[in-house]
Amino acid sequence: MSTLLTHIAISDGKIKRSSLEVLSHCKQLADQNGHTVEAVIVAPEASSFTDEVQKYGASKVYTVEDPIFKNHMNTPVLKALAKVMEQANPYVFAFASTEGTKDIMGALAANQQAAVLPDVSAFKFTDDGIQAKRPVMAAKIMANTEAKGDTILVSVRSGSYDLNESPTEAEVVNIDFSMDEGELKATLREIISASGDTIDLNEAEAIVAAGRGVKDEEGQKLISELAEILNAGIGASRALTEAGVYDPSLQIGQTGKVVSPQLYIAVGISGAIQHVAGMANSKVIVAVNKDADAPIFDVADYGIVGDLYKVLPPFIEEIKKIKG
Amino acid sequence: MVPDVNAPIQIKEGKLIQDADRMILNAYDASAVEEALVLKEKHGGEVEVVSVGAAKASETIRKALAMGADKATHITTSGDELFDSGSYARILAAFFSDKEFDILSLGKQSQDTDSGLTGSMVAELLNLPYTTNAVGLEIEDGKLIVKRQGDTGQEMIELPTPCAVTCSNDMNEPRIPNLKGIMASKRKPVEQIEIDDLSMDDSALEANTQVVSYEEKPAREAGKKFEGEADEIAREVAQLLDTEANVL
Repeated sequence: MSTLLTHIAISDGKIKRSSLEVLSHCKQLADQNGHTVEAVIVAPEASSFTDEVQKYGASKVYTVEDPIFKNHMNTPVLKALAKVMEQANPYVFAFASTEGTKDIMGALAANQQAAVLPDVSAFKFTDDGIQAKRPVMAAKIMANTEAKGDTILVSVRSGSYDLNESPTEAEVVNIDFSMDEGELKATLREIISASGDTIDLNEAEAIVAAGRGVKDEEGQKLISELAEILNAGIGASRALTEAGVYDPSLQIGQTGKVVSPQLYIAVGISGAIQHVAGMANSKVIVAVNKDADAPIFDVADYGIVGDLYKVLPPFIEEIKKIKG
Repeated sequence: MVPDVNAPIQIKEGKLIQDADRMILNAYDASAVEEALVLKEKHGGEVEVVSVGAAKASETIRKALAMGADKATHITTSGDELFDSGSYARILAAFFSDKEFDILSLGKQSQDTDSGLTGSMVAELLNLPYTTNAVGLEIEDGKLIVKRQGDTGQEMIELPTPCAVTCSNDMNEPRIPNLKGIMASKRKPVEQIEIDDLSMDDSALEANTQVVSYEEKPAREAGKKFEGEADEIAREVAQLLDTEANVL
């Protein structure tokens, strides 16, 4: 019997849904293969999240609490996770794929001499390791990739698995942690543009994404209006984040965020492969573009060929009516 | 050096078939080179590029030299080895372990696999302070100030040197080598070394991950396309999102 350890990421005082998706999947795999599933929370008030975590079937929850974890910094996080791994001795350690995860995955694998499969869209056990599906070549192709070893790290794209509650009584294990200033290899000076109350794109049920076709403030206003009635997050293509129109943290695509909401509305986005790589797993895709030959229409479930300035106002009005 | 993801690809019996001539400088590595050149222009110093790869990689190395790098080391492979990110990281760590440098600037991931592991692996193996996904670099008082894109905002991270940083392609537009640069690159030194020249165990080269097969991603079917009067088609799609797609 081996241990599947799941990392529970905390953002803005909440557990990230994508972490619970991974935990749900690990619980299912553990049940099928006779393994146990455990979880780890590294956060200033980690123990306040243990109740929610045990709803998803973790039999043991490790907590590492320290004010230093308020903002992501790789040195303390690596130290904490190495300490938990020493104690939990997991066969598989699974993460939701976030920027925070990407920042430490390679270093943790090197530190623990573990095999590592980053950013997968599915994984399962084989006889002597795990096999994962990884999107490669700008997400045009799936690579079936195997990892072998005594310890395997894996990170999973958000939206890959459904949430599945499976309540248990978890044993909570608090891990002592301290860190001297001197141990901090890198220092965080400041956070420049925390997006504050905007909706986290990795967690959003709906996303309205703006592209080059959104040319001015009037266009941005339409995007905001549409996002507001749908309670959607706002995303953008690289063209608009580079131009400084939208915050870089809103960029969707191979370079930016990979998202998979229930509803993705691409407005004025042509659909370059780098953008499509970041949103092709959305459940329902709507595209608005005046160029009928734009490649975005190849992936859209509903393609509206038209000028966004003429299409969006009645579209917004109609959705308002439906939502009543 | 990566295959051009924009070039046509086929899958035959689980294997990836590509036009092998279309190998390019990884866009993220190009940004890492560009940023190193900008820092050199501002603060002086020297830019050395290091690449691990088959003979073909000499072309991408030459491109980095044509952009303005001063010299290069090409750690040669046969191209047939089944290396993974860990293998490459251990090769690079072995190479850098006895070298002096201030900043190790790497691409944040490779365009073909998007793994994004090697940079932080090398940093950990060399026990260097590091940060990833940089979108801006400055040097202040001998420290590297990195603006990095985090999950919800941008973070300013201060790193003592020597350190490692992985670069996003959002930080700059890599310069296109001009004729003068291309001519000059031909006279710049490229040292070729073999993996055997590095002091590392054979076991350190072993990959513990491996691609067993490739498959086409189930293509998303293009759905319905609506053309005509903007007002009409906008309302029609809104209705369908409610009644058919059930996502409102």
